[in-house]
Amino acid sequence: MSRPLRAHERAAVILRIPTCRTLALFLGVGYLMLFLVALRDLTPGGDGFGFLRVPWSRMFERTGAVTFEPVAQFTVPGWTLLVSPLNLLIGGVLAGLAALNLVVTWIAFRQPAACRFNRSAGIFASLPALLAGSACCAPVLVLLLGLQFSSLMMSVFQVLIPLSAALLLVTLKLVLDRTDVTLLAPGATPTTASWNPREPSAGDASSLK
Amino acid sequence: MPSVSIVLPRAGVILALAGLALSPSSGLTAAQLPLASTPYVLGDGIDRYERSMRSGGPPPDGIPSIDEPRFVQAAGARLDPLEPVIGFVWNGEARAYPQRIMVYHEIVNDRVGGLNVAVTYCPLTATAQAFQRGSSTLGVSGQLLNSNLVLFDRDSGSFFSQIAATGLTGAHRGATLDELQAVWTTWERWQAAHPETLVLSERTGHLRNYRNDPYGSYVPPGGYYAQPGTLFPLLHSSSRLHPKAMVIGARTAEAAAYFPMEALARHRVLQVEGFLALYDARLDTGVIYRVPGDQGAPAVTPEDDGGFMFEGRRLEAHELSLERLVAVEAFHFAWHAFYPESRTPQDRRSLSGRIPGNRGNSGLSGVQPTRRAGG
Repeated sequence: MSRPLRAHERAAVILRIPTCRTLALFLGVGYLMLFLVALRDLTPGGDGFGFLRVPWSRMFERTGAVTFEPVAQFTVPGWTLLVSPLNLLIGGVLAGLAALNLVVTWIAFRQPAACRFNRSAGIFASLPALLAGSACCAPVLVLLLGLQFSSLMMSVFQVLIPLSAALLLVTLKLVLDRTDVTLLAPGATPTTASWNPREPSAGDASSLK
Repeated sequence: MPSVSIVLPRAGVILALAGLALSPSSGLTAAQLPLASTPYVLGDGIDRYERSMRSGGPPPDGIPSIDEPRFVQAAGARLDPLEPVIGFVWNGEARAYPQRIMVYHEIVNDRVGGLNVAVTYCPLTATAQAFQRGSSTLGVSGQLLNSNLVLFDRDSGSFFSQIAATGLTGAHRGATLDELQAVWTTWERWQAAHPETLVLSERTGHLRNYRNDPYGSYVPPGGYYAQPGTLFPLLHSSSRLHPKAMVIGARTAEAAAYFPMEALARHRVLQVEGFLALYDARLDTGVIYRVPGDQGAPAVTPEDDGGFMFEGRRLEAHELSLERLVAVEAFHFAWHAFYPESRTPQDRRSLSGRIPGNRGNSGLSGVQPTRRAGG
């Protein structure tokens, strides 16, 4: 008798499904772009083509609670990208977690039989993803809307990124534990699942097509 | 060569002149961080200032000052004519610090005309101020007071309010920085007045997109610079002017005063008790003099050519034989937050009634922060 799959194994099964993988990639890249724009590592305004760099050791210098100095700058007409390795790492982790949460939420909506929670509860998984979005965007929104930073707001902003990462992990674990990936990949063994979305199944997997 | 508006350190000057004198409060040599011997008046006590400081987000030096500035010749500077710059002159050496670079660094620890200075800029309050720094350097603390930059002295660790120029913590708590005159103007005006000026290079040692202001724009006015809202709580608020209307103010040990720039540009001469402000059309800024209480209002008459008649002679705005104070341009909300008791022309009658030769007759209401756009 095979042991139950762990959360990361369930995530791997989900990501082997082409539709889910494409969706996760799309959401992750979108989130990362948004993260970089909000951190002002990716900004409009660039004069010609250019490349600048500073010593790698600068990458550990903090510019905010959990934001760091760039070590390279690419300029193309109209845009400038600052490459901060630690910002990219943090943004990448957040983007991956947020994308996975959203994909599982999407599965819950499209194929509730695979998830031991109802569709509305699927929203639960997407909330931390939205919070993670606000972690990078909230200060920019406050500025754009001309609101005033309160002490509380500043304190929350300081911990928003680590807090949202932790919540993303927790909700992802919870929803993955309640997702029956065998229903997403009918006929496949749990560890080598390959799911054909065109193959009819009890779980109506074709709805994920 | 055009006349250069060098402004001497504020009256009372520095303990550092001998290089050996000691700061009264710290015991540090004044050469490390020169301090003024006479304080500025404060709107609130140091305790209240200290309690009211709050984090703006970045840690100390999270907004990196420029400590090894590089410069380019004016001819090689790629600046738009109406772009705002901070100008500074000492011993005949002129510097222009583009606002779009300063917005990312807020402090340049420079050496100009043989003098170590820190040129500082707070984007939230639109204040550009220069201070002697001696052998120390100043950094951005990440704290804000009244939405305004709080500097820190890297030698002593003391925090200083930029606008109040006053120590808030540490060894220099209560001490006053030795302030020098910096000018907030446009590139075309600064270059015309100082063709030999050097311009801060974008090769700052840091990587930033200097073509994108995170707060908005001055040309045309937009974003935070034009919106009425402020980002952080203030100790004192006023609805007398648009919060982002530019005013120019000065302070002594006894009092502070401010003049709306739009009104000063229109009237060219404004006075309140103890202070006389003249409009410097060349740089589109103001010059503020101290008027001792026993002298009465000086008779200053604007001339058609931009100069002023004073004591029978035609003079430029900065040439009057009165004690010149360091003048600071700022958003109105910021000046009021620090100096709520600040003296200012009260209404149309007081403006036109006090000023000899005044040709303006408009009130002060409705001043908009658009003056910079038109230079």
